[in-house]
Amino acid sequence: MSVAAAAPVQEAGETLLNVENVSLSFGGVRAIRDVSFEIRRGEIRAIIGPNGAGKTSMLNVINGFYHPQLGRITYKGATRRRMRPHQAAAQGIARTFQNVALFKGMTTLDNILTGRTLRMHKSFFWQLWRYGPALTEEIEHRKYCEEIIDFLEIERIRREPVGRLPYGLQKRVELGRALAMQPDLLLLDEPMAGMNLEEKEDMSRFILDVNAEFGTTIALIEHDIGVVMDLSDRIVVLDYGNKIADGKPEEVRSDRKVIDAYLGVVH
Amino acid sequence: MHSGAPREVEDTALDTFPKWLRHHAHARGTRPAIRLKDRGIWRTWTWAETYENVRALAHALRTLGVGVGDKVAIVGANRPALYWGISAAQWLRAVPVPVYADAVAEEMAYVLENADVKIALVQDQEQVDKILSIGAQLTHLTHILYDEERGLRTYDHTRLHAIAEVMAASRAMLADSTIAAELDAEIDRGLPDDASIMLYTSGTTGRSKGVVLSAGRSVAAARDTVAFDKITDEDEQLAYLPLAWVGDHYLNYAQMFVAGGCMACPESADTVQQDLREIGPTFYFAPPRVFESLLTRVMIRMEDSGALKRAIFHHFLGIARRWGEKMMDGKPVPLYARLHYALGTLLVYAPLKNVLGFSRIRTAYTAGEAIGHDLFSFYRSLGLNLKQLYGQTEAFLYVTCQPDGAVRADTVGPAAPNVALRLSPEGEVQFKSPGQFIEYYKDPAKTAEAMTEDGFVKTGDAGIFDADGQLRILDRAKDVGRLRDGTLFAPKYIENKLKFFPNIKEAVAYGDGCDFVTVMLNIELASVGNWAERNGIAYASYQEIAAHPRVYALIAEHVREVNRALAREPQMAGAQIKRFLILPKELDADDGELTRTQKVRRVFIAERYATLCAGLYDGSSSADISTEVTYEDGRKGVLAARVRIEDVETDTAPFREMPRERAA
Amino acid sequence: MSFLYSIFVDPFVQMIGAPDLLVQTLWEGLVGGVLYALIALGFVLIFKASGVFNFAQGIMMVFAALTLVGLHEKGVPAFLALALTILVMGALAFAVERVILRPLVNQPDIILFMATFGLTYVLIGLGELVFGGNPKNMITSELLLPSGSLDFNILGGLVSLQKIDIAAAIIASLMVAVLAVFFQRTRIGRALRAVADDHQAALSVGISLDQIWVIVWFTAGLVALATGIMWGARSNVSFALEIIALKALPVLILGGLTSVPGAIVGGLIIGIGEKLGEFYWGPLVGGGIESWLAYFIALAVLLFRPQGLFGEKIIERI
Repeated sequence: MSVAAAAPVQEAGETLLNVENVSLSFGGVRAIRDVSFEIRRGEIRAIIGPNGAGKTSMLNVINGFYHPQLGRITYKGATRRRMRPHQAAAQGIARTFQNVALFKGMTTLDNILTGRTLRMHKSFFWQLWRYGPALTEEIEHRKYCEEIIDFLEIERIRREPVGRLPYGLQKRVELGRALAMQPDLLLLDEPMAGMNLEEKEDMSRFILDVNAEFGTTIALIEHDIGVVMDLSDRIVVLDYGNKIADGKPEEVRSDRKVIDAYLGVVH
Repeated sequence: MHSGAPREVEDTALDTFPKWLRHHAHARGTRPAIRLKDRGIWRTWTWAETYENVRALAHALRTLGVGVGDKVAIVGANRPALYWGISAAQWLRAVPVPVYADAVAEEMAYVLENADVKIALVQDQEQVDKILSIGAQLTHLTHILYDEERGLRTYDHTRLHAIAEVMAASRAMLADSTIAAELDAEIDRGLPDDASIMLYTSGTTGRSKGVVLSAGRSVAAARDTVAFDKITDEDEQLAYLPLAWVGDHYLNYAQMFVAGGCMACPESADTVQQDLREIGPTFYFAPPRVFESLLTRVMIRMEDSGALKRAIFHHFLGIARRWGEKMMDGKPVPLYARLHYALGTLLVYAPLKNVLGFSRIRTAYTAGEAIGHDLFSFYRSLGLNLKQLYGQTEAFLYVTCQPDGAVRADTVGPAAPNVALRLSPEGEVQFKSPGQFIEYYKDPAKTAEAMTEDGFVKTGDAGIFDADGQLRILDRAKDVGRLRDGTLFAPKYIENKLKFFPNIKEAVAYGDGCDFVTVMLNIELASVGNWAERNGIAYASYQEIAAHPRVYALIAEHVREVNRALAREPQMAGAQIKRFLILPKELDADDGELTRTQKVRRVFIAERYATLCAGLYDGSSSADISTEVTYEDGRKGVLAARVRIEDVETDTAPFREMPRERAA
Repeated sequence: MSFLYSIFVDPFVQMIGAPDLLVQTLWEGLVGGVLYALIALGFVLIFKASGVFNFAQGIMMVFAALTLVGLHEKGVPAFLALALTILVMGALAFAVERVILRPLVNQPDIILFMATFGLTYVLIGLGELVFGGNPKNMITSELLLPSGSLDFNILGGLVSLQKIDIAAAIIASLMVAVLAVFFQRTRIGRALRAVADDHQAALSVGISLDQIWVIVWFTAGLVALATGIMWGARSNVSFALEIIALKALPVLILGGLTSVPGAIVGGLIIGIGEKLGEFYWGPLVGGGIESWLAYFIALAVLLFRPQGLFGEKIIERI
């Protein structure tokens, strides 16, 4: 079973996720105001904006951590009501976190294996004895995880507890765990935050490869605007919770409002 | 007389590698030939399967137009498919040309074009991209074959093919017995005089040259050393050396093809240490630098462990130092010492060797650089049969090697079996060897230059023979110079003495034609960093810690120690180090400062850091440098720094009474 | 002088002089320790998975035992009563998740701790209301648990092992073994470890916290039931057992709040320690040492290893 064969390339273009007039507030603070955009199958979609623009809130809304007070979210054609994070996961939404949320006491391999949780079906009675269909299943999942380990070039740290790894590698393991879910939509929260230049280059390459090889739709939040321009197909720009631009990198780059709100303040 | 080696080593009909391959497929078809750790699991191919795979690949290459004398480039890490590519080309009497996988595009373009490469067999997308980027310059290249498909599916496949696919197609066609017979007959057409492989020397100066080796001579050389070290089909080794280096082609390919042993390909370059433990090789080669970094790692880990463990460790290391080498060399050792050593084996040596992956090693070699006496003895005292050899691509590796029981740190052994060895009147080492090269490809002038009139090969190394006939290498003959006062200046000799300190990673010595000797140094970040941590010195980068005054003080003490050692040697006493500096960046092959085999390029470094060089000799206490550096991904940046230059006292040991006639 | 002698020499002379008594004491300590360990295990499971310090663990034990015996008293056959009690513990786990954990998620730990305090009184009240407050006898023989003792004439004396104690030790070991395999090998076990490590991350890979919490509380309930049966068989079933349940506290301090092996080893140390203390050193201070020695040992450990003998030293790179 190869990773590539398991995930056929999807037709780009069809809308995978549609966000319509979403507003979110915490008490009196409005984090997101009436934002709409859509994510199409197979694309790399970036959500950018200055600090406090509501990027992470937006990701948390998509992922089910937050529930918007107003607006609709349509995913795979179904308009959802309150969805909880593990339900989002069950429907093929995987994510990583800005500050790396790994199971620090477990090894790299075990962390990635947790990404397969939803795909393990055999009764735990058989799993207890490592017998019959449960054994076959376990081997299949292990194989899939090994493909990911190979893909992300982290063979060396397979058996290391992730708590001891340097930050850049932890981020890679976290990506691996998300990939193990074979997601339809992969949400990346500042995948390059806190990385050095070389690690950023590596991560960009992995993101592009994931998109190309697995056909995974990717939505990413990023602070480093240069990286975003090179990576993404389309970009949504948020500022103070409002959407101020949406389009291809070159369109966004030349947009007056974006320059004022964001590019202007970043050197 | 060579009890361990298989009988067929003497079989002179087996004079090419494909013939050996076919022989093993019949004689030991079910024995393992090659392994690869892939997706966390070791896969093994037997000699019979290897033969089948090579056969399919050979047919595929022939279908793509490869014939006698055509050149097939092999680019990538150690992968079974690439080794099969080498054999498949040899099957067709074509010439495989392994290329360093980490070569940048221009370097690769030079080699591929100079070698008239017709087909390139590469590992992955990275190499395909590199070759496609230089495609316009490659006038002979017709097809590229790749092993790993990742990222390549969307590429134009008119001249690009997956190795697995062409092999599958070939297997289908080989079902036709006439096609199969025709292909199999190619093996018998192979002649010992056929060019068997072309290895590009990295070259400390100038463009690299393609060293052409013949099939018959390659096999003959391998036969001798297989017998010398009693290598059998039970032997196994980890194939982790660069494919394009003579050491890999000799030790992993040629020797194993003759002995019928097994080579294991590591999962990736990063996992070599873990893979070594899992495989437990019986034959092992590593340059001194690898042994050194392993020792550094062990020592650092021991420093971090509890007092009791540390005490036990050091106690038994002392016992090993005292008796271990004597026991290995079969010298008389009292019974109590043997018992004490046995206890040490149980508690320390065996577990340590297991951690390092050295448990099963029967024979280990090191070469390429001088190895420090302490470092060398450390491994031998643990019971590791570590020996030295001296070799060259032009010799197909072995020129000298140490037999079991006559091993020393400061020499490289007597002439290898069937090698004729001599020193020229100027002190240059010259040899004739069974594996001796045919020529430099398309360069008769250079070929002639490398040979003496009576057919010896000039090594370009200056050496001397010790009383017991073992060769001692001093330096490159052309690098040995003189200070203005006529004192002998052997830069590498001085550099090596410095590099034996764990805190010093690289050293570059200058002095030829000058008044005194100066050095530029690289510190070893692992050990200096550890020292800094223990001494509460904070730093953010290599550049910062390299400039720290206390690091300078630390290093200055090492330099003084080297001076003391030099002062005791009559020929070298005048060449003590007067001034030194620590470079603000690590020397790097990507910046051209090191060769691909990690040797310093002294002249290049002098030009690149000209301002620093000037500072070393004009007495100033610092100098500025601004230079371009290449990052690992190929992008360039600028490094600017002010570098401190420090004076060191020289030593005046009372040696003057000693006889000086040996100096010359 | 003679005082020091009676502390540091005499007890050991006695141990060597009468090895049969020593063995007997060690055995009793061991059985007590195993049961302490089981109670502590329930704490650790819940603490690891939800970060809640479950004050009600001891009461869950009494409640489970009481339910079992009470149902039997009302005429339900023993094994049906056992099955029903298991169901009740399941319902309890479900209710706790719904009523306490889910509404209080993301509240400070102290709030959750107070909530389990409340749970304690709810369970006491409920138990007394339904089954009455009188001490009851455990239905040992009805559950086919052995009674009587095995007597050995060894070491120059008589060593007597209660069969119910042997059964307790065996059942406890089996439970620990099953739990260990469950944690290591199954999908739910891996999910439990994941939840113990990082809630947010666990959610993101599709692990349902609600479900895991129910499973953990149910598992802790089963452990409590087993422990309740054993303790009940050794004395009787009443809310006075809660005092014994509180012994789990020093066990936890000793073993570390997050370590399953720690709970087991801690339980054994406390169990054996307090029996030896009571028997050999107790007379010096007029007895009663058993009730506080455990806390004394725990305090001593706390001074030197605040994370407990087996607690995690968090390995983290910053």
